[in-house]
Amino acid sequence: MNGSITPLAIFFASIFTGNILLTNYLGMCSFLSVSKELKTSTGLGVAVIFVMATTTPLNWLVYQHLLIPFGLEYLRFIVFIIVIAAFVQLTEMTIERYSEPLYQSLGIFLPLITVNCAILGVSLFMVIREYSFFTSFLFGLGSGIGWFIAIIAMAGIRQKLRTAKIPPGLEGPGITLIIAGFMAMAFMGFSGMIALS
Amino acid sequence: MIKQATFYKKRIYPLLFMFLVTVICILITSGLFLSTQERATANELSFTRRAILDAGGLEYTPTTEGIEKTYKEKVQVEDGGTYYTAETAEGKRYILPMQGPGLWGTIAIMVGLEEDLTTFSGLAIVSQNETPGLGGRIEEPWFTQQFQGKKSPFTLVNEGTADAPNEVDAITGATRTSEYFRNLTNRASTDAKRIIRGE
Amino acid sequence: MAKSKLRKTFLEPLGKNNPVFVQILGICSTLAVTNKLQNTMVMVLGVMFTTALSSWTISLLRNHIPSRIRMMVETMVIATFVIIVDIVLKAFYPEMWKQLGPYVGLIITNCIIMGRIEAFALQNKPFLSLVDGLASGLGYAYVLLAIAFFRELLGTGSLWGYQILGSWWTNWSIMIMPPGGFFVLAIFIWVIRETIMKEEKA
Repeated sequence: MNGSITPLAIFFASIFTGNILLTNYLGMCSFLSVSKELKTSTGLGVAVIFVMATTTPLNWLVYQHLLIPFGLEYLRFIVFIIVIAAFVQLTEMTIERYSEPLYQSLGIFLPLITVNCAILGVSLFMVIREYSFFTSFLFGLGSGIGWFIAIIAMAGIRQKLRTAKIPPGLEGPGITLIIAGFMAMAFMGFSGMIALS
Repeated sequence: MIKQATFYKKRIYPLLFMFLVTVICILITSGLFLSTQERATANELSFTRRAILDAGGLEYTPTTEGIEKTYKEKVQVEDGGTYYTAETAEGKRYILPMQGPGLWGTIAIMVGLEEDLTTFSGLAIVSQNETPGLGGRIEEPWFTQQFQGKKSPFTLVNEGTADAPNEVDAITGATRTSEYFRNLTNRASTDAKRIIRGE
Repeated sequence: MAKSKLRKTFLEPLGKNNPVFVQILGICSTLAVTNKLQNTMVMVLGVMFTTALSSWTISLLRNHIPSRIRMMVETMVIATFVIIVDIVLKAFYPEMWKQLGPYVGLIITNCIIMGRIEAFALQNKPFLSLVDGLASGLGYAYVLLAIAFFRELLGTGSLWGYQILGSWWTNWSIMIMPPGGFFVLAIFIWVIRETIMKEEKA
């Protein structure tokens, strides 16, 4: 084959041009409700990076070494969500037990994450695009960072908007969606920046 | 006695319940999966054959039977499936399965070539994972059909401005995917010459 | 009495308690496919099927589910219905299945489904829960279909894959690209809130 997909290209693409939130609309629910505050957004964003970077390779292992050998690919939806839920639960318990400050800043966001569609989305994309283990890890990490950047940027903008005059019907989700639209356009502009070949 | 009852209620019952639900769920989905598996495999085959017909520029009725009929009549598998040939009124067509990298994953296509192995008779996407609404638009008919009658190597021009026989429309907002796609299609002619004529 | 409750259960999610423009729930999985009316139709049918039937199933089991493992049972039931949708699509509409890719699986994390189960199905009788699930699905469906209608029409000049607008029409490519989805949804919410919701408040 004449040149293949480089893992590094996927890493950068998943942060910028193919930002999981801005091009695939994944993780919108928590994005809209949490992005009001910069501090909470940062906490949730870091938690998302962590969970995505770990569950994506984890699901890769489960898929390649458990589901495929037994011909159970069609059960992947259930299995992935169980893996994610169990992993999040375990991490929460571990953090709570060993580090009180970390739990206060990060742990409280973990339950919110199980219902974040972006996490499951990344695992499903990883399967359909037939990534290798290493690429899956970079893809998970990159998507997490991309989500993090999107939410803190949005939180920063929304804090500035607090004093702005907005038409009453647009307040809250309306204006957030419009800003997200502009951000999506801006992020598309990154496509010329990374030379792949 | 009371203690035993609460133990059952608190520990055993939830486990039993969960186990039962899981078993029922898996039985239902497995049953459905196994009963439709044959159909799904047949669909997959029909999909590939349709891509071959599209690439060769052959006319067919767009049903499973129609695809099957035309495929059996017109298409010959050559060299154990490395390429296919088809006879049409306008001459022989060579159809080559190809794959290459896209932005997100592998793009697999069928390329149909005329006898000079440079002019495209058609092109069909077998699988792709590009961003929906951006690179994913390579699957849209206007994009694949524009290759018909064009001569490789191709140059990309802005969407909607392709004119010369070696120009193809790129997709606005999906520069990367368009470039990857051009690289893939540009390889078709040399690959075909090597495989078919041994050049 | 019973009839009015049924009516209310059915009508509320369509209007003043709409999951999309009032509660802003569950848009994640479907917004990505709203650049084509056809894909959107299949996705919302999948969501309606899953919401209605998982609400019904959980409501049937509601007196037997141990509360500690409630969420797990719910996820399991939802995932089962989504897998059914996936398998049926793959077997009978393979082209549609290919186009939707991972988005079918993402119906599982659609917050509306879990939300309706937690808020309604756990307290109500099976039939009523079925109606509630179906109505929530419908309320969701018409909003997304409206978004898809405008995106496809303005972005490609066609509807359901058929060319509607003539050659004089210049496609607004931005509409079928990701930012278009954000803008159309925002405008939709704006219009609804300024008109219908205002009347109700007054």
